[in-house]
Amino acid sequence: MSVLIDSLLAILAIYLALQCLLAQRLIQTVFIFFAFGLALALTWVRLGAIDVAITEAAIAAGFMGVLFLDALRDFSPAVSKKQQNLEAVRNPLPGNDTKRPILPRLALGLGLVLFLLISLEAVWNTPEGKGLTVVTGVMLPDSGVEHPVTAVLLNFRAYDTWLEIGVILMGLLAIFAAGGKEVYRKSGMTAEDPVLRQVILFFTPILFLFGAFLLYFGKSGPGGAFPAGVLWGAIGILLHLGGRPVLTVIPRWLLYLILTIGPGFFILLGFLLMTTGSTLFEYPPAYAGILILIVETMAAISIAAALTAIFTNLNQMSEEPDKIESNN
Amino acid sequence: MMIKEIITVILLIVGCFFFLAGTLGVLRFPDLFSRLHALTKADNLGLGFIAAGMALHIASPWAVLKILSIWFFTLLASSTSCYLIARFQKEKEQPTDRKEGE
Repeated sequence: MSVLIDSLLAILAIYLALQCLLAQRLIQTVFIFFAFGLALALTWVRLGAIDVAITEAAIAAGFMGVLFLDALRDFSPAVSKKQQNLEAVRNPLPGNDTKRPILPRLALGLGLVLFLLISLEAVWNTPEGKGLTVVTGVMLPDSGVEHPVTAVLLNFRAYDTWLEIGVILMGLLAIFAAGGKEVYRKSGMTAEDPVLRQVILFFTPILFLFGAFLLYFGKSGPGGAFPAGVLWGAIGILLHLGGRPVLTVIPRWLLYLILTIGPGFFILLGFLLMTTGSTLFEYPPAYAGILILIVETMAAISIAAALTAIFTNLNQMSEEPDKIESNN
Repeated sequence: MMIKEIITVILLIVGCFFFLAGTLGVLRFPDLFSRLHALTKADNLGLGFIAAGMALHIASPWAVLKILSIWFFTLLASSTSCYLIARFQKEKEQPTDRKEGE
């Protein structure tokens, strides 16, 4: 029975991925991408990687989906004539002209072959024993947390996690570089809709609470800074869409402080630990638990601010196409 | 024990039926509003039945509370997004109507 479910899930994920690449209209691609993210999250759940599943659902299906939808703008099924023409100009339907460029097909084919080879390799060469699970289990009491994934992410391999937070910041920097950084404005952003406003105000404390729960729960189970950061970032995005753009309220220096406090505190702590004679990110076992919780909280705050800022900037960039074009 | 399991299975099947009906509605109904109607109403009921079935199956107070809050929040979010999409479509179809009404 479970084999049946797993195979169906695998077929579904691959099918959705193919559909996502081959869909003819942009809007189909975006919605199939949603479904693909959810199928992938379910796959991770079936593989027993709940942490990855939560992050996949939150970032890939949730946050990326929001960005794609925002890029689409017009997301009603009845696409306006103008946009249809626009899309037809940008990506002509394959049925109409036979001279489709060969490069995308070649890339797709190469990717599929590569995927097949990697899958075969993974099936044939399963690692002997249990890999690093045993080592992690032995070291777990020294890590300060009870959940092995958190122990690996925030203690044993903390440097990787620090770089991951940096990647999000780099994304934001790229957006700043492309679109300018002075775009937050207040006028014309009031939510005219009372239902939307009330629902957003209702969901704000709940999202905050749930994020905090995931953050704290991360030491003993699936959760941690990234899902919590995404949930808190969702608050910022919702408030922005509901006509209360948070980034206009706080001064810019405070935004920069919030953006950098996570990775900054993380690396400063690492250097401080180095001065006591240990290596980078080698927490003393007695304080490891509380240190990891502080680091995770700071990281979650930074991730939330970065995601909100990414969305806000892209949102306003797509609202002012003339301005962007004139900049180019 | 036996009766509880039977009720759980019945609740799950009823939930799946509502999901199926909702999906059929999305695929078959002619315009956006009726599709929205099919999707949100049927899915909320379907999720409600599945949540009830799972709550009965797990039967620990905290889990029941969590499952019911999942259902409640989904209900709220999906009905709000349904309303927003419907309003968006209505304004797009008759852009002058709404200004006169206000």
